[in-house]
Amino acid sequence: MNWKQDRSGESPQMDLEPDLELAQALSHFKASMDAWSEAAYSRPRTAAKLAVRHSWRMVAVWSLGCLLAVGSLAGAGHEIYHRQQLAKLAAQKAAEQRAAAGRATAVQSGTQPSSAQSDKKAPAATTRKVSVGAQDSARSQDSARGQDEDLLATVDSDVSREVPAAMEPLAQLMNDNGTQ
Amino acid sequence: MRRRGASTKVMAAGTAVEPMTAVSAEDIAAQEFARIVETHRPQIFRFLLSSLRDVDLAETLTQECFLKAHRNWSHFRGDSSAMTWLMRIAINLQKDYWRNRRIQFWRQTRINAVDLDEASEWLPNGERNAEQQMLAREQVAQVWQAVKGLSERQRTVFLLRYVEERELSEIASATGLSEGTVKAHLSRALGRVRTELRGSR
Repeated sequence: MNWKQDRSGESPQMDLEPDLELAQALSHFKASMDAWSEAAYSRPRTAAKLAVRHSWRMVAVWSLGCLLAVGSLAGAGHEIYHRQQLAKLAAQKAAEQRAAAGRATAVQSGTQPSSAQSDKKAPAATTRKVSVGAQDSARSQDSARGQDEDLLATVDSDVSREVPAAMEPLAQLMNDNGTQ
Repeated sequence: MRRRGASTKVMAAGTAVEPMTAVSAEDIAAQEFARIVETHRPQIFRFLLSSLRDVDLAETLTQECFLKAHRNWSHFRGDSSAMTWLMRIAINLQKDYWRNRRIQFWRQTRINAVDLDEASEWLPNGERNAEQQMLAREQVAQVWQAVKGLSERQRTVFLLRYVEERELSEIASATGLSEGTVKAHLSRALGRVRTELRGSR
């Protein structure tokens, strides 16, 4: 070793001469360092593979995240659109109903004066047409209501027939006791 | 010095056979540099590994060292040996690294440095019995312990001397210190190792 060989050339007062134990420890230290360095230097490198795997994982995570974000945004958007459509339909229906009701009241209030004023023929004809239409619609509404009521009555009777009365078993027992 | 000699030889050969072009000079410089890398890379790596105790970091800084050397290869005048020149670059890179670590101490940086026990596990498989191996391992651990307590400059000088086996003049040239200062640092470092070894007894 160099430092062992040229020890004599160094100034003695600097205390650079290692004693036996120190020299042994230093030589072990160097041998250890050589072995470690050689093993680390010749080890297989997997950094590139790891980086690729890491990047794939990153891509997968990012795409999943983007997909989730887009999905939730689209869902929210669809829900809002759906609600708006429903509200629009409801408003339209309400407006129609209001218009029909208004027409019906107009007809009811307009028929009496139209019969009284017989000299104005044209307006009377139009009011007659409107009143006929209103009567038709009122008649159809009545018939629909009647059908609904019939249906409900049938369902009620069916249900009441199928479901046993709450006191039925007791009543049967009483009957049995009575016969005994 | 060696490099300058090689280029004149080539130039002389070039004039005899065909006029030397810039491309062939570049090729020769590249070949020469590749040879330097092949020869000195393990030593630079070993020095950085012993200084940092971090395999990945030592590899990164070794790469950076040779990259820097390649960039400045045309400025290398051959005043010192290529190894001393490379060592100087490696020492500067290491200094930069520690300075950056100190500046960015508040950041959560990844530290891969192995602990001293793990570093002392490395021993060549010589013809030694188990007891001798255990003794050697213990001594290596004590030296590591002492090295850990050294200042940055003392550690560099100590490792260059006792691991890389550099001459005092080379160490002085690589570190930019005078030989006297190098001796003083070595003396203190050895004193510390001695104390550590005696303290364990």
